[in-house]
Amino acid sequence: MNFEAVIGLEIHVEMKTKSKMFSSAPINFSDEPNTDTTYLDFAFPGTMPVVNKEAVRKAIQMCNALHMEIDDELWFDRKNYFYSDLPKGYQITQQARPIGKNGYLEIEIDGEKRKIGIERLHMEEDTCKQTHFNDYTLLDYNRAGIPLIEIVSLPVMHTGLEARKYVEKIREFVTFSGVSDGKMEEGSLRCDVNISLRPYGSEKFGTKVEIKNLNSIANIEKAIDYEILRQSRLLFKGEDIIQETRRFDEAKKETILMRVKTDAVDYKYFTEPNITPIKLSKEFIIDAINSCPELYDSKLNRFLNDYKLERVDAEILLNNVSLADFFEEICKYSKYYISISKFVITDILGYLNKSNLEIKDFNVEPKYIAELIDLLQNKEVNSSQGKEIFNHLIKENRSPIKIKEELGFTVISDDSVIRNIVTGIINKDSSLVTSFKNGKTRVQGFIMGQVMKELKGKANPVLANKIILEELNK
Amino acid sequence: MSILDLTIKEIHEALVNKEIKVSDLVKESLERAKNNKDNAFEIILEEEALKKAYELDKLEVEKDNYLFGIPFALKDNFSTKDIETTASSNILNGYIPLFNATVVNKLLDKKAILIGKTTLDELAMGGTGTSGHKGITFNPYDKTHTHLIGGSSSGSAVSVSDAITPFSIGSDTGDSVRKPASNAGLVGFKPTWGRISRFGLFPFAPSLDHVAYFTRSSFDAAILLNTLAGRDEHDSTSSFKEVEDYTHFDEKIKGKTFALIKEINESIKDEVLTNKFNELINKIKEKGGIIKEVNFDTKLLNAIYPSYIVISSSEATSNNANLDGIKFGPNYGGNTYQEVMFNARTNGFSNLIKRRFVIGSYSLMRENQQETFLRAQKVRRLIVNRLNEILEECDFVIALASPSVAPKINESSDKLSETYLIADNYLAMANFGGEPSITIPLGFKDDLPFGVNITSKIFSERKLLSVVSEIEELTGLRNLSTKTYKREDK
Repeated sequence: MNFEAVIGLEIHVEMKTKSKMFSSAPINFSDEPNTDTTYLDFAFPGTMPVVNKEAVRKAIQMCNALHMEIDDELWFDRKNYFYSDLPKGYQITQQARPIGKNGYLEIEIDGEKRKIGIERLHMEEDTCKQTHFNDYTLLDYNRAGIPLIEIVSLPVMHTGLEARKYVEKIREFVTFSGVSDGKMEEGSLRCDVNISLRPYGSEKFGTKVEIKNLNSIANIEKAIDYEILRQSRLLFKGEDIIQETRRFDEAKKETILMRVKTDAVDYKYFTEPNITPIKLSKEFIIDAINSCPELYDSKLNRFLNDYKLERVDAEILLNNVSLADFFEEICKYSKYYISISKFVITDILGYLNKSNLEIKDFNVEPKYIAELIDLLQNKEVNSSQGKEIFNHLIKENRSPIKIKEELGFTVISDDSVIRNIVTGIINKDSSLVTSFKNGKTRVQGFIMGQVMKELKGKANPVLANKIILEELNK
Repeated sequence: MSILDLTIKEIHEALVNKEIKVSDLVKESLERAKNNKDNAFEIILEEEALKKAYELDKLEVEKDNYLFGIPFALKDNFSTKDIETTASSNILNGYIPLFNATVVNKLLDKKAILIGKTTLDELAMGGTGTSGHKGITFNPYDKTHTHLIGGSSSGSAVSVSDAITPFSIGSDTGDSVRKPASNAGLVGFKPTWGRISRFGLFPFAPSLDHVAYFTRSSFDAAILLNTLAGRDEHDSTSSFKEVEDYTHFDEKIKGKTFALIKEINESIKDEVLTNKFNELINKIKEKGGIIKEVNFDTKLLNAIYPSYIVISSSEATSNNANLDGIKFGPNYGGNTYQEVMFNARTNGFSNLIKRRFVIGSYSLMRENQQETFLRAQKVRRLIVNRLNEILEECDFVIALASPSVAPKINESSDKLSETYLIADNYLAMANFGGEPSITIPLGFKDDLPFGVNITSKIFSERKLLSVVSEIEELTGLRNLSTKTYKREDK
């Protein structure tokens, strides 16, 4: 292709604070519409904004994660426009002085690291949620005033893949720091794409097209890839690119025209007079940074070096910060870290996926999982017994040692008892040894089955296997 | 003479000495409110006020609480729970707030009794008291109804000058309490920006808006400040600065320096007023006050009004964008949200308000903002700097509060004369910088009162009120009202 795509992203993240950006109304996504509100959220005359300290702390944490310069004075501005979802007739935002500027993050493509520059990060408030019907619209003010941060990248990305990696990295930061749920499908992370094409080597930017309403990270990549194709086809045909806003149609896998941009709206920004500039002390900023929960890269390092996990396992655990936290909770009670990681990934995650549950719905205490793993590691139960105990544990959330006792699970590790049974089987059927010596390794498993049957599954499998081999090789 | 004609302090003493019951006081206040012909009230709260008064009758009068059982009136741009609040604008007809403004709660906590809500220029934008949705509010000193009382806190000014209540609450964005105080012969006081919470005050221009009030003595003004001042978590611009006992008057005129701004004095041509003012200045000198004549800078003074109009209109157009017919107030219908907003705002606002919104919107537009809004803000800074320079050298700035007595209703105009530009608008400089500023009655011309204004450094309310109380002795006009004023021709 002869054209280079220039891509910049604007990401809005809903912050997970207890109350709203400028009002004391609580935030609970499951609450009835219009119940998480206070007077300010309806813009009743005489109400005034009061800045949410926790939101500022979280914004500082994100600025720090993105290597940004943090402004030590908070300034807010009004963005004025009329719209049905905007109660006050203006949105309080940070136009002139964003809390963070000039940062970057690192993405990795094919093992190669790249820095993506970030222009600014600012705080603002969400609008209310509209649900449109044929001849009316319902407004839910629960969303009005929820704290947002907007992160604006520089126009320095060139492919859909880069953009996807960038958004994944942002989502990783916000979820690990606890700043946000970062769920695109639920709108707690929203991404707008600005994309233009220009001939390779050209310094001048082409006409910019905006893509909105992207509801998954995968769709960001697909929409960009499609848009690059669409624009380059037009340019090849000698047609002009029109400055417009498009959306991504998931079914057609195409971007669709929403509206042509006329003159950009004039938002008549000016300093919010009801919030005098707030000086942030050094201590406040440092404390916010220090209290930021551990981010992905640091956790990964620890999982590899302290717990000695396999990389692939560590990455699976870290796919979900709550799962990783649960893993670490278990590690407080047992030292078999690698076994714990395998157990969490295979047994717990397997169970959750099968039952369509999330880790927060998993009610077994970490110390009981640790207890079960110790039982398995110390060969006090074998794996099939372990599975049965786990099934009880899920329902009962109580000590695996007690469950084991009640189920009468023991492991027979007495050499002579097992050897007697093994020799009995071999003596009964001499063809077993011949088949084994002819290379039929199945024989081994067959004898193991017989031993287990005889001992009602209680034989120590490692010991039994050892004895079977010894006897067959005699 | 009725006890209701007295100051808060004196009424309080009468209550403590059981010379009058709260209910009798309130009944008389309500009677006067109903009989008043000056169009001062949006709503009179007869039932609620009487109920409260009878409850207080059963209690021992709190000796340390000056406001116990004292009736008061409130400008209708303060949010009152369960009481319709319209800011004298049709766009808020029928709006019944869910919460009280902080100042309302503070007064009710002190067991003061709200007897009614007063008229204002629509949404507090205006200085004439003629633009509210209930029409013109008149000056109680002029029974012929040819002179205005001024605004925007017009009804609140009537309530105190006609002795319906001994105090009333207003708001002051340019001079909306201090100017009508001059026209109505009252004490009109605007403390430092941030000293009193604005939570629940319908915003006109928040960077200039102040809670302010009318009383008939500086001591009463101090009583109120003791109650109203203080940090409020609902208003993040309210000050953390410690609240003082403002009634502790221990400062005297002697040794204090009073700045006379030459340009303001020279722009006032009415000799009755200037003579009276000079007389007062001489008395201050006799009391040991030091008078210092200063030049402010004519250019800066001329720029006060245009800067004020640009800044206040810009903020106003944004603050009032919430009035869109969607959430509260009358809904005039429409098929789209644009139509709903358009219809509500077309029908709800008068043309004067729309004019201000156009000015504000124009000033904030991207292509104009640098030359209008931001330039006005820079000029504002220069004006404040100059005022503060003067207040570094002098304790007070003193000047006539207005170049004339209350104008005739049809003669008030925005003509850009020197008098108008400077003397009629300079009071807004204390809104620019947030300084405490007080108007007190100085004299009469043709049976209409006029006042003098004194302004001091931010957060120096105690010193200001203390010295003003001594100036009151010099004017001899403490506790002035239509009930206590003796007409010159009688």
